[in-house]
Parts: sequence; C-alpha cells; structure tokens
Amino acid sequence: MAGNCITCDVAIVGSGFAGSFIANELSKKGIKVAILEAGPGVRPNFNAFMKTFYEAGAKVPESPYPPAVLDSKGKFIDPAHVAAGRPSALTTGSNWKDPKQAYLDQRGSKLPFKSTYERLAGGTSHWMGLTPRLVPHDFQMQTTYGKGQKDFPLPDWPIKYEDILPFYDRAEAELGVAADVDEQHFANLSFTPNYKYPMPRIPASLFDQRVGQALADLSDVDTAFLGMGKSVTALKVRSLPSARNSQPYRNRRACAGNTNCIPICPIQAKFDPTITLNEAMNGGTRLIHHAVASEILLENGLVSGINYITYDHEGGPRTGNRCLKAKIYVIAANGIETPRLLLMSKNEGKTPNGVANSSDMVGRHLMDHPQYLGWGLLPQPVFPYRGPLVTSAIGDLCDGPFRTQRAAFRISLGNEGWNSLVGGNAQFGSDPNVTTLDFINGMNSSGLNKQNFSQLADNSALFGTDLTRTLGNLISRQFRIAFPIEQSPDPNNRVTLSSLLDGLGLPRPKIAYDISDYTRQGFVAAVRLRKVIFKKLGATDFTERGDKDPAGFDMTIDGKVEQLTYGGAGHVMGTYRMGVDRKTSVVDSMQRSHDHENLYLVGSGTFPTVGTANPTLTLSALALRTADDIIRKVHSQKA
Amino acid sequence: MDQRRDRNTESAEPLTQSGKISRRAMVAGAVATTAVAAVLPLSNSTFAQASNPKQDMVAFLLLSEALTGVSRQTLAPEFSADSNEILNSDPGIDPINVKNTYFEWITTHAAPSSIAKLLQIAKDSRKTPGAIITQVSASDDDTKFLARSIVLLWYLGSWYEPADLKANASPGTRHAISSTVVSAKAYTQGLVWQIAGAHPMGYSNLQFGYWSRDPHDLNGPNGGPLPLFSPSKS
Repeated sequence: MAGNCITCDVAIVGSGFAGSFIANELSKKGIKVAILEAGPGVRPNFNAFMKTFYEAGAKVPESPYPPAVLDSKGKFIDPAHVAAGRPSALTTGSNWKDPKQAYLDQRGSKLPFKSTYERLAGGTSHWMGLTPRLVPHDFQMQTTYGKGQKDFPLPDWPIKYEDILPFYDRAEAELGVAADVDEQHFANLSFTPNYKYPMPRIPASLFDQRVGQALADLSDVDTAFLGMGKSVTALKVRSLPSARNSQPYRNRRACAGNTNCIPICPIQAKFDPTITLNEAMNGGTRLIHHAVASEILLENGLVSGINYITYDHEGGPRTGNRCLKAKIYVIAANGIETPRLLLMSKNEGKTPNGVANSSDMVGRHLMDHPQYLGWGLLPQPVFPYRGPLVTSAIGDLCDGPFRTQRAAFRISLGNEGWNSLVGGNAQFGSDPNVTTLDFINGMNSSGLNKQNFSQLADNSALFGTDLTRTLGNLISRQFRIAFPIEQSPDPNNRVTLSSLLDGLGLPRPKIAYDISDYTRQGFVAAVRLRKVIFKKLGATDFTERGDKDPAGFDMTIDGKVEQLTYGGAGHVMGTYRMGVDRKTSVVDSMQRSHDHENLYLVGSGTFPTVGTANPTLTLSALALRTADDIIRKVHSQKA
Repeated sequence: MDQRRDRNTESAEPLTQSGKISRRAMVAGAVATTAVAAVLPLSNSTFAQASNPKQDMVAFLLLSEALTGVSRQTLAPEFSADSNEILNSDPGIDPINVKNTYFEWITTHAAPSSIAKLLQIAKDSRKTPGAIITQVSASDDDTKFLARSIVLLWYLGSWYEPADLKANASPGTRHAISSTVVSAKAYTQGLVWQIAGAHPMGYSNLQFGYWSRDPHDLNGPNGGPLPLFSPSKS
C-alpha cells in the first residue's frame, strides 16, 4: 500500500476552523497541503441545506447537514450503519444511552455529554458565531487562584494572554469580527495599541436594551454572594464580539437578522470555515473528502503516514483503503474525533495505548461549558425571534476572587424567545409551536395558558382575533438567558474506544462524563443571580426541569432544594491538553506532540482549562500560531 | 426524544419557487407570470364534493379567515371579491399560493364529511366570521378538531392530525403532539411569526439592525403596522 500513497508536505486531518486556517496559511507560502475530510466536500451553495432545514420537524443544530439522523419515516438510523456518524441533539434526551440511536457510547457515563459536532467540509458550521477572547487570568488559574489550595483543579496554560494576543488580532481579521474595542475592557483584557476590530459592533436587541436598563442599579447586598472582591451595584450589558458581518466584509454581505445563526445562516453573513477552506483550495490545498482517517502510522518515533478509508454514501460501505504521506502531520478532527483517532492507532500492537499517548492523557479532561438556562416572560414585549440569536452578554463576572472556590460564568442574552426549548423542558418541543398549539387546543404545555397571562379563562381554546391577540401578546414577551459555566478538568471525564462500531467498522467514541463540585458551585451562583435579574426585570419565571431529564441534578440553595439541569454549549474541549510537563500533557505550547516531533494536534482539545469564552476564536488563534511554527520547520528543512 | 417531530416525506417545492422573497414583497412587486392554477384539481383526493372547486376555495378562505383571525387578503393576496355574492369571488393566483397547498393537503389527509361540513358552515355564515366560529365550536368532534388542524396549518405550516388533537384536548393537558412540516414553503409562510412581530427563523426579508427597533416603529426602515390584521375589503 505504501507505494500507492498520496504524498504532500503537510497532511491535515479535518477541515474545520483549525484545519482550514492552517491549510490556508501554509498554502499561501507554497507548501503542499492535503486535507482528509471524513464527510462530504464543500457545497456550491446552501440551497439544499436550507431546504432540509425548512422541512425538518425538529430544527436542531444538525438538522440542515448530512448524514441524516432519521430515516424518511422519522425513525432513528442505527449509527452502526452510518459511515461518518456524529452526535445529535435528538439523542441527548431519554435515549442518550441507546447505542442504536446515539452515535456516542455513553452507557457507562454518570451524566450525558450534551454537545454535538459535524463531520463535513468546514467542520462545525452550526456554531453561533460568538468570538469573545479568553481573559488573562484564564491562562493562569493555578498561579492566580490555586496558591496554597490542595488539589485545586485548574492548571496554568504554558502560554499567557500576551503570547496569544497578536494571534487573536489575526484570527479576528480572518473570522471577520464585529465589536467595539472601547467596550471590551473588562476582566483585565488588554489590546494591541490602537487596535480596532475589523467591523463595527452588532447593534443591541430590544431585549439587550431592557436588561441593560434593569441592571443599571443593583443593591450590593443582593450581589454580595458573587464574591467579586468589590461591591457590584450594576451589571453592564456589552455587545458581544461576533464573527458576523455588520457591513460587507470579504465579499460577504451584512447580517440581515435571520435569527438562525444556529444551525445555519442562509446568507453566510456569519463566518464559517468553508470560506477559509475555499481560499486554501484556491491556493493549492487538496481536499480529499469522504475520507476517514483510521490510523496514524509510526516509524522510528516519527509519524510516517496516515491510513484512511474511503466511502461514497452516508451509509457506507467502505470503497477503499488508502494512505497519505507527508513530512509533517496535523490532526484537527475536534475534541472527540482526534483522541479517537490517536487511540485507534495501535500500529499492529506496537502502540497499544495509541499514538502520542505516553502520558496516558489522550482522551482525558473532556470539558464543555455546561449551560444553566433561565426562561421567563416579561411584563412588556421585546419582540424576540428577531436579530442574531445573541447580540449582547454580561462578561464582567467571568473573573474574580470567587474562582478560588467556584466556577466562573458569563451571561448571554437570547433573542430567540422560547425557540430552543420551552421553559427548559425538552418534553414538549419548541416555540412558537408549543404555545400556538396550547391556545388552539386548550392545552398548557407552555404554562402560558392561564388567566393571569392571557386575561382569558384558564386553558382557553381560541379561534379568530382572540387567538392572534393572545399569541401576539405572549410570544413577544418571551425570553431566555444562559449562563455558560467554566467546567474544571477531570481526568475521569474521558473519551475512550467503544466496542460498538460505525458503518466503516471503526470503534465509536465512548464517553464518561460528570460535573465536578467546583463547577456545580458555579451553578449555585448562577441560580442566585438569575433570581436577582428576573426580579429586576419584573419577569415571571418559567424555568423548569422535565420529568425524565437525564442531565438533572439537585443542589440545595439558600435552604431550598433546586432541581437543576444543563444544556451543552457545543464546546468539545480538553482531551489532548497542552502543557510544559510531558507526563501530564499531550502537546507543547505550539500544539506539537511531546512524543512525536512531526505531529501536531490542534483545536480546542489542547485547552488545559476553558474559561468562559466560546472556544472558536482561541482555537483559531492557536492554529495560526501553529501554522507559523510549521512554516518555520518546513523552511528550515528545505534550507 | 419527544422533541422530535416526524419529517415530511412529501417532496417540497424547489427553493426557487418557495423563494427568498416574501409573499408580501412578491405581491407588491410585479404581477406573477407563473402559471399556477387558482384551484388545483383534487388529484388523489377522497374529497369528492368538488362540484364547484372555485366556490369551495372561496369557502375555505372565508373559513380560514374567521378561524385564524387573519384577513383573507393576507391568506390569498390576489383575492378579488365579488361585491354581489362573496361566494362568486375569485380566489386569485399568487406566486406562493399556499392556500392551494393547504387545501389539497386537507383533502388528502382529512375526512371528506368533515371538510364538507366546515365548507358548508363557511358558506352559510359567509358574512359573519363570529358565526362561523360559533358554529364550528358547536360542531361534532371530527369537524371541530379538523378546524383546529387547519388553523395550526396556517399558523405553523405543520399538520397536526385531528385525532391527536382530540386525544390531548382535556383542558390544561401537557403533552407533545407530533406533527409534519408540510413543505419548505409552508414553513416559511407560517403566520404565527408575523403575529408575534417576527419572521420565520432562517427566513427574513428585513435589513441589518432592524432588531434594535420596535417592529411597529413607523419611522424604521421596515416600519409600519403589520398588514396581517387589516380589515377585509368586502
């Protein structure tokens, strides 16, 4: 087979943010790059995705994209018969442990890992497009907050904010970030002198404006529990940096507020990695799609090739076994698929624990930003279901002395009413469908069909203008807020290989996941703050947990047992962490394997800790830093 | 998971027809040249009473106007009323023609006797929407729950089986009911979004920054009262 291999200078596995960014940087320098993409290639336009989305009964993040999760009769397709499967929001409910429905094998897990990802050219295109930076202390948790604490769970990164700063600037240019730098000076964030974001900020929604007014004047007694080390008498709502055009940028148009960033922006005003990937391909990068990497081959301590399997159809079968040879290899397959590939690479028993795994850290420290969500009804309309899904956030609480004791959070303000779930209860579906059905059929799944909200009899079944008036009044007052919470790294939260196979005969990822007490204490503070915010807004609380919610856990807060749950943020992080010590980390600060000097592992899997910022900007900045390192290596080899 | 609703297996309109352009914008613009029949022949229909399909469509629109609370000029933008006898009106051809999609859907998915009863109620009470509501509410269950399915169709572009509505109709029930998205076009034409001052998610015709302003703001670039509730001309 070796004689039959495709050859190039740099081989990359995965064409998402990290893979595309590195490919594009290398191609600009004339370096010969080939990318293996497990899923289909780049589509000429989004029309087919949009049609699939419009027709989907459940408009979950994966709904526009292949492969199908449900067959034409609405039944789950067994992931054993899918060539390049992936997790789905449809398999994080009561069926989360059913391997005939769920791609991830979570049968042995304490709690469900609820985040999902895509496997197609461009990677996770269903992202929200939010691009805040990590703050300086996020890189130095041990040094800043762990001193004198036995078993403090959060290590330092091997780099500081200052090291990544110039790469943040470059990543923001590539992604096309809209933000106002004058508004972003909080939590010790600093910027390059005279720095300006590529585009002006995205305007605040009516809901953002309402929250900003309500939280302009707080009692420091009500906020003392936050432990900020200073009195908090106001919370500032700031526009959130977003990879979303506020004006035409690089041949893409300005956001038109389709309120559909997740799963898909119909006009590509939100950046997605196919944009950089197309540039890379124009520059000479070769994209090999429908190509699933199955083994990383080693020779004398260096990577000597990658075997991959080809297929034609979503359901398989395999159509060929091929290989790719290069001087340098980059695995950019995300926080679950990258460790899966490393662990699968056993080299006929010569690397029984997989490649790059002398530390036994590959697959460990799986993290997300578990989200505490609050659902409410305002006294006056703010007209949700309009604008980008999120335009503003409260970031100022993401850092402070409380981090010695509990996890940090940010607060993002939703512009989509009760569209993702109704009241946090996944049992009934999403709005506007649920509330509409309630008032037409005299039901009350939403909780809204009561006299005190409708001014009509409880459980009204309406026709005509009573119906239009009631729905218009209630739906326009809905809101949700989210608290993405920092998850501490836990070696037992882990990706390993399942005995279950996918449609190509490869072992599927097996997940063990739990939420630590440090992180749970972050939920406690989030619940308390949510109550303060709802009170200031005059909002009625509709937050509840469904009867069979597998993510449910209880916490006693102010003497009362609260039934809590969490949502996944789609942030798959930590499973091949970077560090100085090769015994406790997998890669160095350049994201290069400690074990194999021509192997780089990139993406948010290298994050030792995750702060509270959405990871895409940071992983993109790190990818650009790694690209520079690879360019230096290639040039020194040629010289 | 219960959140899941069944996928529609019917083929949808191609995107070029379902369009990037709203019904409102299309109607305001050029006259449609698409040769779509005002009233489709009821192929595969079990609804046999197609003796006067044009009048049945008018009755369907009068029924829908009363039950949805949305003017027939919004439901059928090219509706041309006959000033002597409303039942002799021309339902009109518009480029979206979602009324035909829905009427055909109903005739292939619902009991012919219930459809006939609803159309007769609309014909009998054609001048008083309130009377249509009263009579529908007083009808037998099969007829009443079909009426609810029809309103859900207009509001959401999704079909809820009348039998499923009936099974979950005890006051205050909390239960998911599965439904089918009729087509991509039907989703983008759902009325509830406009009723809430919004637009179907993933289908907006508005411009950058509109979300920072009230949808009823007359001074905004997309401002003005929603056309949804304008009184019918008849």
